[in-house]
Amino acid sequence: MADWEPKIVAFLCNWCSYGAADLAGVSRMQYPANIRVVRIPCTGRMSPKFALAAFRKGADAVWVSG
Amino acid sequence: MLTKTEIESISGEVGNFSVNLTKQPRYVDQDLCVGCGACAEKCPKKIPDDYNTGLSKRKAIYVEYAQAVPLKYAIDDRYCIKLQKDKCGNCEKVCPAGAIRYDQKPEQVTLEVGSVVLAPGFKPFDPQGLDSYKYSEYKNVVTSLEFERILSASGPTHGHVTRPSDGEEPTKIAWLQCIGSRDMNKCDNPYCSAVCCMYAIKEAVIAKEHQGDSLEASIFFMDMRTHGKDFETFYDNARNKAGVRFVRSRVHTITEDPETKDLEMRYVTEDGKIEVEKFHMVVLSVGLDISPELVELAGKLDVTLGANRFADTDSFSPVATSREGIYVCGAFAGPKDIPQAVVDSSAAASCAGQVLASARNTCIKSKEKIEEKAIKGEPPRIGVFVCKCGINIAGVVDVPSVVEYAKTLPFVEYASENLYSCSQDTQDGMAELIKEKNLNRIVVAACTPKTHEPLFQETLINAGLNKYLFEMTNIRNHDSWVHKATPDLATEKARDLVRMAVQKAALIAPLAEAELSVNPNGLVIGGGVAGMAAALGLAKQGYPTHLIEKSSQLGGKALALHKTWKGEDIQENVAKMIKEVEDNENITVYMETELASVDGFVGNFTSTLKGKDKETTLEYGVAVVATGADESKPTEYLYGQDERVRTSLEMDKLFKENDPALDKIQSAAFIQCVGSREPGRPYCSRVCCTHSVDSAIALKERNPDANVYILYRDIRTYGERELLYKKAREAGVLFIRYSVDNKPIVSVNDGNLTVQVKDHVLQQTVEIPLDALTLATAITPPDNSKMAQFYKVPLNDSGYYVERHAKLGPSEFATDGVFLCGLAHYPKPIDESVAQAQAAASRAVTLLAREKIFTSGTVAVTSPANCSECGVCVSLCPYSAPSFTTEGPFAGKASINPVLCKGCGLCVASCRSGAIHLNGFDNNQILAMIDAL
Amino acid sequence: MPKDVIGSVMVVGGGIAGMQSALDLAESGYYVYLVEKGPSIGGVMAQLDKTFPTNDCAM
Repeated sequence: MADWEPKIVAFLCNWCSYGAADLAGVSRMQYPANIRVVRIPCTGRMSPKFALAAFRKGADAVWVSG
Repeated sequence: MLTKTEIESISGEVGNFSVNLTKQPRYVDQDLCVGCGACAEKCPKKIPDDYNTGLSKRKAIYVEYAQAVPLKYAIDDRYCIKLQKDKCGNCEKVCPAGAIRYDQKPEQVTLEVGSVVLAPGFKPFDPQGLDSYKYSEYKNVVTSLEFERILSASGPTHGHVTRPSDGEEPTKIAWLQCIGSRDMNKCDNPYCSAVCCMYAIKEAVIAKEHQGDSLEASIFFMDMRTHGKDFETFYDNARNKAGVRFVRSRVHTITEDPETKDLEMRYVTEDGKIEVEKFHMVVLSVGLDISPELVELAGKLDVTLGANRFADTDSFSPVATSREGIYVCGAFAGPKDIPQAVVDSSAAASCAGQVLASARNTCIKSKEKIEEKAIKGEPPRIGVFVCKCGINIAGVVDVPSVVEYAKTLPFVEYASENLYSCSQDTQDGMAELIKEKNLNRIVVAACTPKTHEPLFQETLINAGLNKYLFEMTNIRNHDSWVHKATPDLATEKARDLVRMAVQKAALIAPLAEAELSVNPNGLVIGGGVAGMAAALGLAKQGYPTHLIEKSSQLGGKALALHKTWKGEDIQENVAKMIKEVEDNENITVYMETELASVDGFVGNFTSTLKGKDKETTLEYGVAVVATGADESKPTEYLYGQDERVRTSLEMDKLFKENDPALDKIQSAAFIQCVGSREPGRPYCSRVCCTHSVDSAIALKERNPDANVYILYRDIRTYGERELLYKKAREAGVLFIRYSVDNKPIVSVNDGNLTVQVKDHVLQQTVEIPLDALTLATAITPPDNSKMAQFYKVPLNDSGYYVERHAKLGPSEFATDGVFLCGLAHYPKPIDESVAQAQAAASRAVTLLAREKIFTSGTVAVTSPANCSECGVCVSLCPYSAPSFTTEGPFAGKASINPVLCKGCGLCVASCRSGAIHLNGFDNNQILAMIDAL
Repeated sequence: MPKDVIGSVMVVGGGIAGMQSALDLAESGYYVYLVEKGPSIGGVMAQLDKTFPTNDCAM
């Protein structure tokens, strides 16, 4: 388990969290590369289907932020 | 946009100014700089960072902050080693775009413009000259702006609250109010800066949020001025919920413990006791100041400044300077907070536009349209462009391997890399490739779509493709920049991101932007000062305007008022305004008329106007709500039982009519906050302190021997109104503070009217015989629920309308095409009402001037066959876009108005029948991305 | 008023007030020159952390 890295899928609101992730980049904050971002127009767009689909595709965690 | 540019001189007149400017060199070619930051990384010169108020360092070549616009570097020539000593030159060597230009010289620029808007802002007061606080000596004494940076996640401490002397977390912080404000002894700023009370409370609350309960936050103040919308509740919550301590006092001196660097503060409480208390850190709440450079600028422009160096304006034209065609907004016109500055700036835009209305659309540049290619039925032919962004991406991610990988993905016809995708020549090249390879879907893997999507969409348009056939993925901000240590994993991530984007791109379709014409008519509801100013604002920009007033007279509440705080005669000015409205040929006035119905939406409203004996149907494009508010009638302090007890407006009536009864008043009192700032009506009515102080002065001027008292809780003569407060004290008006749990008692004995109040300074109860008592009663909104329903706009707990955004959208509603001004928004004086009315007109004109509205392509659509008519979307949408179809084969089913839809997708996710689809972000498209993981 | 009215406006200052004015004017059909003495726009508001009374992020 020591080397195990989770696979994280993030659903980020275009207007806030996605922009925050952009800023993390501008500020050169370093974090592990095991996250994949799906940009959505608003967290209101989030549907349980998406979370389930991500888990089905092997995600260990789903993160919704907005 | 001209940066690093200053004004030298101006000539000409309204409609035709010529301005000479000097553009200082950036030493970096703005067209070539891509903002990659390689130069700053290699720059050896470290200097204090002004953006972080000197609390951290930056390089001599810099951008002010990460989100700066334009995100282009500049060299600070005061520090650059190359420019000063002709050594170094590192930045030129490392710049991948070859943008460095050490030989740039100041440039003279001449602009021909029709009007000018001044928004040069303010300078935070510099407390270095103040001996009592030892700001420059003691490290742990900071200004409020420095503390903002300390609180900020992008600041020098990344939002971790630490004190400068030792980096320790302080557990006891004091905020000192009125530093450089309301002060004629230590500095020359007699005015109140109007924003410091609120920002100090905010800083204290946020600091406690960061630090938790271990932090003791105390604010030392004279009067707490929380006179804005929802400010009083914020104050109440800070005191009662967040546990911020408020100390009414005057601070005498601060001394530093030389070892611990803690600060010992000596202060005098309200009842005259001297207290000594220790703090770990002291924040000076510095005021707003006008710098000598701004005074010089005003001189160059021939614009008159007032005694406090703020631009001189008139209450009825609050953004017009002394020079015709030059307008002013923001803190340069007087200390103010952000919403007020935003209101002013739209007002200034409205006025600047009015004088140029005949030249609208003559100077703007328009583009020629390129025919859009039909791609229906074609299989996807995807082009993938992977950006290297110089070394920003290519330095970490193996770009060629990502390109090779992209070529293997389904439907990808073409893939290549770009050095800088955003450069003009690359854009042109991409457009050529799209045409040459007949590509019909484009994926760009580069930086963030938030800044660059529109640019690439433009490229698609130039290549004849629908702009929605585009998908962007972020392999810079979300990848190369944040995974520098693991290039292999970063490359793998880039491949994944490209695959996800390609999968989605295969499913995207061209989207149409519906075109809708805008009816140029404007409707203004309410014929008070705000309504009239809004109507004039629309009419003077050339739009036919309809003004409805329910009473038989224009003028509204202003008809009952005597003078503005600047001393202008209100009746005279209102009469002038009414005449202007009646004479304007673009304005139709409907007296004794109310709104009976509203149909339609932005650009295309239809209403029935119900007059005394006729009904009119009106079609219009925009509506301005200016329905005002009322003076409340009190139920306490013997009001209505003794004729010597009057409300403020009843007192104004005496002044207006120059009633001889005024001369007989030997002893008068004003009671403040009657019905305001109490449970049930928690807000401050904003205007009453100034009003009472003004009336008290007038009484004193009439009869200097009279005793005039103001019984108050906090005197809120914000901004330059503070000078009236000073004048009143100098005239001998007596101010006695009372607390809300120990209100004054008014009684009549043997026909003698008296008021009893506990004086907090003397610590005893005083009894004052009175000839006249004026109650500064709360301003209350009428029942607005009907109108709120008509336009589907919200009301707050107190019954005032809720604007689109407290800071950035103060004069408009979230519902498109409906605007707001005057007392319907919140209590305010005439100058602010006029400014907000002009702002509402300005915002409305931005819609009317478009003539046509293009809806966004990324909107929600329903498939009526699947709709179960449950109504969830109709009730849920914050923009009122969905509604039930009333006729046709799908009557009863929901449909979405693309004009109102903002494409958030809330309805899509909440639709239990799966009947709603969001163009551009539909289920299958998002699922395709997930599927590609 | 002179006959040839120029349909453009100079806005001095790129803080929140200047930016709002410039946007309103540009959207109303006038060409705007936004003049700022610093290297980028944003003004003092860009230095603030949060704004009262909603504690929204100032950026």
